[in-house]
Amino acid sequence: MSIEFILDGRKVTAEPGQTILEVARANGISIPTLCRDEKVSRTTSCFVCVVRDCKTGKFLPSCSACPAPGQEIDASGDDVREMRRTALNLLLSEHTGDCEAPCTVACPAHAAVEEYVRAGREGDFRKALEIIKKRIPLPMSVGRVCPRFCEKNCRRNVYGKPVAINEFKRLAADLYYDEYMEELPALSGKKVAVVGAGPAGLSCAYYLRRAGVAATVFDAMKAAGGMLRYGIPEYRLPKHAILDRELAHFGKMGIAFDFGRKLGENLSLDELRKNFDAVVIAVGCWQGSGMRCPGEELATVGIDYLRSIPEADYVAPNPGKVIVVGGGNTAMDCVRTSVRLGSPDVSCFYRRTEAEMPAEKLEIAEAREEGVKFTFLVAPVKLEKRGGKLVLTCRKMELGEPDASGRRKPVEIPGSDYEVEADTVIAAIGQKSDIPAGVPVNRFGYADAPRGAAKLSDGLYAAGDCLSGAATVVEGLASGRRAAEEILRDVCGMDVEIDNPIYVSRGKWQHLKKSDLVFVRDGVSEAERAELKMIPQEERRTTFKETTFTMDKETVQREGDRCIGCSCTDKAECKLRKHAAEYGCDPEKIKGARLPVSYDTRHPLIIQDRGKCIKCGVCVKTCAEVINRNLLGIKKRGFNTFVATAFDAGFAGNCSDCGACIEACPTGALDWRNKK
Amino acid sequence: MSRIRTLRIGVASCGIASGAEDVMAILKARAQGIPVVGVGCLGYCYAEPMVEAVLEDGSSVLYGNVEATEKAVDNILSLGDAGRFEIPPERKKREKIMVLALAGRVDPVDFDDYVAHRGYEGLKRALSMAPEAVVNEVLVSGLRGRGGGGFPTGRKWRFLAAKKAAEKILIRNADEGAPGAFMDRSLMESVPHQVLEGMLIGAYATGATKLFIYCRAEYPLAIKHLKIAISQIYEHKLNKLGDREVEIVIKEGAGAFVCGEETALIASLEGQRGTPRFRPPFPTDSGFKKFPTMINNVETYGNVPLILREGGAEYAKVGTEGSKGTKLFALAGDLKYPGLVEVPMGITLGEIVFDIGGADRSKVKAVQTGGPSGGCIPVEKFDVPVDYDSLKTLGAIMGSGGMIVINDDRCMVETARYSLDVTHRESCGKCTFCRVGMTRMFETLERITKGQGTEEDLDFLADLGPKIKAGALCGLGQTAPNPVLATLRYFRHEYEEHVREHKCRALQCNAMVKLQIDHEKCVKCGLCVRSCPVQAIDGNFEIDPKKCTRCNSCLDACPKKAIHRIPNGEEK
Repeated sequence: MSIEFILDGRKVTAEPGQTILEVARANGISIPTLCRDEKVSRTTSCFVCVVRDCKTGKFLPSCSACPAPGQEIDASGDDVREMRRTALNLLLSEHTGDCEAPCTVACPAHAAVEEYVRAGREGDFRKALEIIKKRIPLPMSVGRVCPRFCEKNCRRNVYGKPVAINEFKRLAADLYYDEYMEELPALSGKKVAVVGAGPAGLSCAYYLRRAGVAATVFDAMKAAGGMLRYGIPEYRLPKHAILDRELAHFGKMGIAFDFGRKLGENLSLDELRKNFDAVVIAVGCWQGSGMRCPGEELATVGIDYLRSIPEADYVAPNPGKVIVVGGGNTAMDCVRTSVRLGSPDVSCFYRRTEAEMPAEKLEIAEAREEGVKFTFLVAPVKLEKRGGKLVLTCRKMELGEPDASGRRKPVEIPGSDYEVEADTVIAAIGQKSDIPAGVPVNRFGYADAPRGAAKLSDGLYAAGDCLSGAATVVEGLASGRRAAEEILRDVCGMDVEIDNPIYVSRGKWQHLKKSDLVFVRDGVSEAERAELKMIPQEERRTTFKETTFTMDKETVQREGDRCIGCSCTDKAECKLRKHAAEYGCDPEKIKGARLPVSYDTRHPLIIQDRGKCIKCGVCVKTCAEVINRNLLGIKKRGFNTFVATAFDAGFAGNCSDCGACIEACPTGALDWRNKK
Repeated sequence: MSRIRTLRIGVASCGIASGAEDVMAILKARAQGIPVVGVGCLGYCYAEPMVEAVLEDGSSVLYGNVEATEKAVDNILSLGDAGRFEIPPERKKREKIMVLALAGRVDPVDFDDYVAHRGYEGLKRALSMAPEAVVNEVLVSGLRGRGGGGFPTGRKWRFLAAKKAAEKILIRNADEGAPGAFMDRSLMESVPHQVLEGMLIGAYATGATKLFIYCRAEYPLAIKHLKIAISQIYEHKLNKLGDREVEIVIKEGAGAFVCGEETALIASLEGQRGTPRFRPPFPTDSGFKKFPTMINNVETYGNVPLILREGGAEYAKVGTEGSKGTKLFALAGDLKYPGLVEVPMGITLGEIVFDIGGADRSKVKAVQTGGPSGGCIPVEKFDVPVDYDSLKTLGAIMGSGGMIVINDDRCMVETARYSLDVTHRESCGKCTFCRVGMTRMFETLERITKGQGTEEDLDFLADLGPKIKAGALCGLGQTAPNPVLATLRYFRHEYEEHVREHKCRALQCNAMVKLQIDHEKCVKCGLCVRSCPVQAIDGNFEIDPKKCTRCNSCLDACPKKAIHRIPNGEEK
């Protein structure tokens, strides 16, 4: 006889033997569970499905509790959600694994690195490009200029050098960029104005168009590219051969451009807001900072210096003896550009030591190869003009206590001043944004949006350097994509999931040993990393020719063999990850010991990774109750509980490879070894 | 003066551990025809080995701490004055011996001895009644489960009696796993027939067909005695209950604490992994191999023969409104008279701890009841009567009867850590809250006792503990946070001192303590230097805190008590 009870305030009916979970599902109330699998007897293990009996206040596992007549059950309240969140956080605290490969996590655009590297390994660079462009719309540029956040976090660093990930982008784009065209949905009728044709603005327009929303990109300059064109030097990113080719694609996609339009001058924000459904401010960071010392106006501003070269079509005078003050990437671009303009003597002055330089290590090394001299622990005190020459007074510094950035703070050494002569002094200290009037600004001088978000006010968004401060191209692309997603969701009413995924991580590679890594795939190559070939030293010093060659297909393919494939086999389907994201869990919330890394790849097709097991035992029951083989069992007790085969002999010859245990496993503790 | 009729010597595990078997051998050799009977436990652990000389006039003389020497034995045989044992008068006054009446009085494996002491009278009376009337007698007695839960025994019996099934199972839970608890072991070793009689009465009342004793394998003597007693029952056909015979089976548990939980116990009995399952269905509906099953604790069964013999109403005269009869406690910790005591329900904690246990009123700060899952009750609450409901309101539980007295030289954070060390390792690993939650709480307590705790750690414990209690699958997890939550409630200042000042007022947490030699008292005898296992004491009698492991060897070795534990940073 059926009974009636109250579920989330509604009167519902349960058949005899029906659990609260089953009744909830039948009534459209979703209750998360990891350990309930209808094919096997219940396990009552995860307790993620708890509900509350309103009268007694007791929490019940809904997968196992049958309702009593007249019972009042709360399946969605705050207390219930908090209990579920705690259960999930506890499970995350014992979970060992990399939900996503660290390269993908580290990539500001979260490009599916492992997937495009795999496509490349298999020789399918067209597919690789398709995967790359889901996150990186400018793969030719990024494939050349990216500081490679991915490679710095590559697990391969644990033993040897990282996989040369960026070369996959560069090669895939060089091979297939021109012929590849995205599937473009019909335009929805919504229109978005993007101010700024730099990486962020281009990316925003790109992802809007891919979703069927028309975008018009305005820019104050006479060509698109922003920093790509007017900041990054030719020898790192050829403007005609590469950038023009790359940007032509945006026109082919139907994205409109309007050049020579500067917001606040010949472009009105009010007009834009009137004529478009949304406006995105992506004006970048073009205001160079001065040296903050007397005579600073005599110095050339680094960012202006770099911009002047392409504007003058690379016909610029020899700057003579050059001193560049600053230690960032802009400073490196300035010194190396000066070398190429014929300067006989180029120096970089930096107030800390090389270890603290924010510039990429590779850039510093290449600058040095090209003859740039470095002077560390000096700060400018005064700049004067004496008899046609510039005289820079410098003060020696020493490193003191670490400052807020964690770097040791330079401290002046009194009485250590000395003078140096130069023809050109370039200040490459930093950049700021010049936010147009009418756009809300925060106390740092950047567009004011909540952390991580793009929305400034209704219909007004920001992206790129003007939102974040000067950053890299790939960060600009990610920021542009974020603005596009918010617009698609808020303005166009599309069902866009702006990802806030749970990434469980094994930790930084610096703390790992090779035995901490999980090798799902056999035959990970032990070869050394393939190195980029460069043009001859002489050409590097005298021309603006691109310094590096794109690697050949075989080399990159072989490089793909070096990829460990660290991401979780179950990342797309893991229920723990899914519910943890739904419940706003944090893998770092509860800290504590985890089981040592232990995985079993003796089965040719199946991997068992104990660190991901939630000990629900559904696999054990599936093999026993459904398949009638009984190959799995639970061993040990308490925190050390794990699932294993009899005598830990592996699946031996008895396994039929049916995969029912894999199907049943709520996480990636049991999975097929070949990733989809 | 009367002559010795019989000599009784306690040879339960505790007696044997103190050397009672050697004493018994000498006693037998020199008794010159006086019968020497090995009996069970008298409950005075601190006085083992114990010999009782029963005189012909029925009176008796007790000897305690008997040495295994001819001299000591001859002293007893001549009823000498040396080594006579007097039951502490306060204890005598406050104890109420009912269940333990025959413990230490009868030969555990002598069927006739038990019968001679009115053994099996309860069963005989029960068999003369209708089964329903037997259940009713237990209901009237007000007996509640002695395993800790306190569920009315009669009601449980009535559930099973009402079931119609091909088989009905009765289980005795003898998986006594809590550290410091030995009530059940004592009963089984000392009066195995009494608990078996209780089971047989239960089987008759409920219609049970098969009787299991689930006893931990670490109790070999109890198992031996039970096996002998069972064979005697078969021999005397006492397993014939009316027109049917029941089978009694002993199953030895493999030592998992959680197998004291009834559903885990049943799983283990079935040959499965000993893990609990969600209830309902309750075992009385679907238990061992899906048959209706009832589980009672050893002590509960120990009470049943008394109830049937004397009548439920008579039994109910002892105890309080809600808790009838007596309760056995295994009294341990910081007190003068540790041992097994039997007290009437409703006695206060203070009476047990101070009057019976002889603990030092100026030093006791708390008592832990219910073993590692129980709570700590501060000395200010010692006027609370011991019954199921009062203890619960204090955040403690009656538990199965472990009671540990804690003096002020013990750290409450360390006490909680110790309890969780047991429970988190004894988690079966099945449910999230217990498996991971208890581990995280334990790790946090480890941090605090190592001086690495933070204020947030205290919030974390206070937040997670109640969630584990609310979310865990079985009684293990549902009670395991108790020691932390109770100490946080009553001794929060100790936790705060640990995390804020890195101070352990009890000077117990090694990370916050140094050992120092008081040079005014030191006579430079060098015993400390020799006792130190890590050569931390130099020729000037200074202790190097970097080498010292705070093991206290020197402190114990010092004849002048010149070595002290002092808080870190307070060295002179």
